[in-house]
Amino acid sequence: MDSEDDMHDANDLDSLDDDFYSGETEDAPMDYYTDYDDDADDYFDDGDDSDPADSRRPEQNFTILKESDIRQRQEDDISRVAAVLSIPRVAASILLRHYNWSVSKVNDAWFADEEQVRKTVGLLEKKVYENPDANELTCGICFEVYPPSKIQTASCGHPYCFSCWGGYIGTSINDGPGCLMLRCPDPSCGAAVDQDMINLLVSAEDKEKYDRYLLRSYIEDNKKTKWCPAPGCEHAVNFDAGSGSYDVSCLCSYSFCWNCTEEAHRPVDCGTVSKWILKNSAESENMNWILANSKPCPKCKRPIEKNQGCMHMTCTPPCKFEFCWLCLGAWTDHGERTGGFYACNRYEAAKQEGVYDETEKRREMAKNSLERYTHYYERWASNQSSRQKALADLHQMQTINIEKLSDTQCQPESQLKFITEAWLQIVECRRVLKWTYAYGFYLAEHEQGKKQFFEYLQGEAESGLERLHQCAEKELQVFLNGDGPSKDFNDFRTKLAGLTSVTRNYFENLVRALENGLCDVDSNGAASSKATGSKNAAGSSKGRGGRGKGTIRASMSSRITDDNHWSCEQCTYANVRSATACQMCNQPRR
Amino acid sequence: MTSSSTSSRKNLSKIACNRLQKELTEWQASPPAGFNYKVSDNLQRWVIEVVGAPGTLYANETYRLQVDFPEHYPMEAPQVIFMNPAPMHPHIYSNGHICLDILYDSWSPAMTVSSVCISILSMLSSSTVKQRPEDNDRYVKNCRNGRSPKETRWWFHDDKV
Repeated sequence: MDSEDDMHDANDLDSLDDDFYSGETEDAPMDYYTDYDDDADDYFDDGDDSDPADSRRPEQNFTILKESDIRQRQEDDISRVAAVLSIPRVAASILLRHYNWSVSKVNDAWFADEEQVRKTVGLLEKKVYENPDANELTCGICFEVYPPSKIQTASCGHPYCFSCWGGYIGTSINDGPGCLMLRCPDPSCGAAVDQDMINLLVSAEDKEKYDRYLLRSYIEDNKKTKWCPAPGCEHAVNFDAGSGSYDVSCLCSYSFCWNCTEEAHRPVDCGTVSKWILKNSAESENMNWILANSKPCPKCKRPIEKNQGCMHMTCTPPCKFEFCWLCLGAWTDHGERTGGFYACNRYEAAKQEGVYDETEKRREMAKNSLERYTHYYERWASNQSSRQKALADLHQMQTINIEKLSDTQCQPESQLKFITEAWLQIVECRRVLKWTYAYGFYLAEHEQGKKQFFEYLQGEAESGLERLHQCAEKELQVFLNGDGPSKDFNDFRTKLAGLTSVTRNYFENLVRALENGLCDVDSNGAASSKATGSKNAAGSSKGRGGRGKGTIRASMSSRITDDNHWSCEQCTYANVRSATACQMCNQPRR
Repeated sequence: MTSSSTSSRKNLSKIACNRLQKELTEWQASPPAGFNYKVSDNLQRWVIEVVGAPGTLYANETYRLQVDFPEHYPMEAPQVIFMNPAPMHPHIYSNGHICLDILYDSWSPAMTVSSVCISILSMLSSSTVKQRPEDNDRYVKNCRNGRSPKETRWWFHDDKV
């Protein structure tokens, strides 16, 4: 396939019978909203309900473990080892702990040299100490004499009274997880103290602590598992290395990178992220005064605090000036009204047009490096807070507004899923967009071609996202506040669902391009016409045209993207041939 | 030298008292060779004389060990230091602190004052050179204000001496 084949139109149902979804979860039924009328059905769930906010991946290579799952797995591993080696469960537990909970390592070591393993781990087969007098035993710690019933020993036979054992084990448990490797108190003896003895000899509180350490050890000492790093989250993740990305997404909704445990940062690599985070902490003092929470309105100069997620700001009446929060330019210079030109992500563009103060060139030079950093940092941070806001909005939507909307618009909640999907897409896109600014900061200055291509893709993605965010945030309000069903609601559905899938495509292109290291750019800086993403595009949604690299060429040379589509001059949306006006922005076809 | 930390220490628990009484009785019945317990009425602080073993660098030299017992002895290790002057030894600092694992991480309640003393004498006897640890000055400076050696994070990187 080449990329043009991927550009199905939203309404072109006939095109669905190819193997567009072959890379997606095969057995998941496709969940079309077949009960929508005609052109409203361009949106559907991709069948991956568990984490729709994630970027697509061929298959999930991780499992989230709740505490009960962790215990179950640990019990299962212990049982397996106990059965295979014919040893008590407590002994199997000690062995597994020693070999970092790897069943195969335990088996290998044991069958290679059982005697050596027993010695190292402290599982003695016979006593090394015999009491001279079977009726009177001297405790090796308090030196008091006791009858045998008051004395307890590990496998070695060294006698200690119950109270001294309690003190010994209790002290060790309160010293930390080292208690899991506890040995007989005799300095020359390595006999292990197992959990049966611990349960017999210590307080309920200490037993509980020991139990926690054992559970933690199963996650922390195992190479394949980690705790979810989100504060307060008690789930763990089991990760199967191999193909696919490092991004994992916990049940608590926190997404993080398995490799570096920072928050998920696909498509940017761990090295860039750690450099960026270090840079931010070093520069944060400077940032504090540069990035105050408010900005003056570019027209009336009254201070404005941003309280919504999208970058389209409207000053309060009477000013009502519409501007972009990031560049403080008029909003009319952005997005749809100027034919899709969205350049507010471009540092160089802004500089060349003199938006930044260039009057004092020398001062400028000195300021340049900080200013450049500020440019990227501000966009990184704005997307971060915008994402936080979107998360809160998503929650509000799911808990309150969907129900409300279902009432006012007389729609079943199942038909309002497109709104949640839109918000999930916004949250995910803000995350990706945020990290692309860290990527942009480290993109080498001299790689002009890559830089232009990157900024082009980023700009496309960002303007798409702004349209989507604005639609989900502001246009929805009308229907939420309405008294009864609105006849415009179906149009709104079409628009929002369309924007969702359009934006998803933009971001998939961006992610793929960055993951390929922008390798499709040749030395002249022109985007190569060979489509890259088409193979992976199996995971992309039906929606409408995945605007791959091919589109650059297409939009430059011709308005016709392929035989069945034409590209809107204003918003670049790929419309079906039969449409006389753009489905996205209503611009008449020229 | 360490009196400030000693004076703030809690009294011995009953278990600790009983155990120390037994250790002392045992000591007096058969003291380890080369050691002499300096009689006092303070069970919580023992002062022990050490005589360097014949044929070693410390032959015929006498030093004094000060052993302080914590409330929960023997579950917790005793604090053992050399009193001034401390022997010149690669693992003994000029303030008397001793770098020996069984006094810290590797302490076990099955050990006794007597077994600790034997380990210290063995450490002295195996020394081939009379010198301070390389980091002596820095360490001693950091230990002013009577800090206990038990608060040090020790590295036991050399088991030859």
